[in-house]
Amino acid sequence: MANIAAQRIKREFKEVIKSEEVAKCAIKVELVNDSYTELKGEIAGPPDTPYEGGTFILEIKVPETYPFNPPKVRFMTKIWHPNISSVTGAICLDILKDQWAAAMTLRTVLLSLQALLSAAEPDDPQDAVVAKQYRENLEMFQITARHWTNVYAGGPHVNSDCDDKIRRLVDMGIEEHQARAALSSYNWDLERATEQLFS
Amino acid sequence: MGFELNRFQGEVDEELVCPICSGVLEDPLQAPVCEHAFCKSCITEWISRQPTCPVDRQSVTSPQLRQVPRILRNLLSRLSINCDNAQYGCTRVLKLDSLSAHLEECEYNPKRPLPCEQGCGLIIPKDEFKDHNCVKELRALIHTQQQKMNEFQQEINEQRFLIAEQRREMQLLKDFMRAMRISNPSMRAIADAMERDEVLRWSNSLQRARVTRWGGMISTPDEILQRMIKRTLTEMGCPPHILDDLMENCHERRWPPGLCSLETRQNNRRQYENYVCKRVPGKQAVLVLYCDNAHMSEDMMVEPGLVMIFAHGIE
Repeated sequence: MANIAAQRIKREFKEVIKSEEVAKCAIKVELVNDSYTELKGEIAGPPDTPYEGGTFILEIKVPETYPFNPPKVRFMTKIWHPNISSVTGAICLDILKDQWAAAMTLRTVLLSLQALLSAAEPDDPQDAVVAKQYRENLEMFQITARHWTNVYAGGPHVNSDCDDKIRRLVDMGIEEHQARAALSSYNWDLERATEQLFS
Repeated sequence: MGFELNRFQGEVDEELVCPICSGVLEDPLQAPVCEHAFCKSCITEWISRQPTCPVDRQSVTSPQLRQVPRILRNLLSRLSINCDNAQYGCTRVLKLDSLSAHLEECEYNPKRPLPCEQGCGLIIPKDEFKDHNCVKELRALIHTQQQKMNEFQQEINEQRFLIAEQRREMQLLKDFMRAMRISNPSMRAIADAMERDEVLRWSNSLQRARVTRWGGMISTPDEILQRMIKRTLTEMGCPPHILDDLMENCHERRWPPGLCSLETRQNNRRQYENYVCKRVPGKQAVLVLYCDNAHMSEDMMVEPGLVMIFAHGIE
């Protein structure tokens, strides 16, 4: 790894650990290997959002050319959000692409991602299905996002209606996550989800 | 890239840290409007990718970058830093502005070039001494030199071949021209005129010489002296078709009747001053060309001219 990238990441790692946000348990970062090329990030779901109470794990890959190029970040925890792929966890956020600036740090990236969870940008979507739901049926979107937070990120809000519908599909032999994804995409319409799964 | 923070004694103010490399600023430059400061190498690298300030994204181009204020430079130069070779045992702690001078002479620098004292005299980095073997190094050196010499030798052979080839072609051309000259009278006239013009042009390009003591004339110059003069004439650009004749005419056996013996020379010495002589640079000799001396009586001149060599007395 280039000298400058290693020097930066070491310092940023310390910066995150010492930051107020860590004290408040809002963000966290851990080393994955000794060479500082890969890290594991963690952000808390922001309050007053469907993600509240959840903990979201991020994969952070630091390129050789860091900080002249942004780190490659993706959600490891499954999440229902217009700007994050519900399948791969890929993130659509300008600062991780063309709006990256060399003075940004792991801390600012994690805080930006937390802000993204608070304020989605449905007009610049990464996941078209989620974005459509967000625009057309905000209530349904919030139910779905909260349910995903509960199941994948350890959020506190159990939705028994959702769980029931998923169980019905699982009983028919569908894998659980597949069932959840299908129901989520069809606004929890059991009939349409079934149709799609068996077509 | 800046200096690593942990090399400094005491706390370093956040303002002295480069936001790009997170080291202490090295050769800092600042953005024109927002005045954010960066290491020169860091900001240059960033701007080559994106012409903005890395902190606030205001547009910045390379020519707009400016020297940072003196106060910032002073604060930087006062910081105390340990030597780059601390890991090799150097314990010096220096002000940042005297670091580079110290590094030049730091004896702990494992890469410091030193001359080998075991006999080969090669200058090698200090850390390579333990694996250094004079004989091996010199052998390698000889080997590369040998290779170079072989290459040059090949080159020379190649050039020799080319020269020989061109010589043959030139000879052929000369023969051809001679044949044309002989077979065609008008061609002969043209060629003669060309040769005369060439001699005239050459003569005009030469400086006048003055003979102060005609008595120093050597009427029977030896072979070595003749070769020396001939070489100089060639270097002076003497037209090749008169060179041999001129050289023949440096000896009294080929001189005109008025000069060919001591006795006639004695009789005619008053006429010497009428000769128009040209200098032969660096030599005690003069050129008396026929084209310059048409005014002289016939028994004092020959074509295409004379070379007079002296023991002394030429200006």
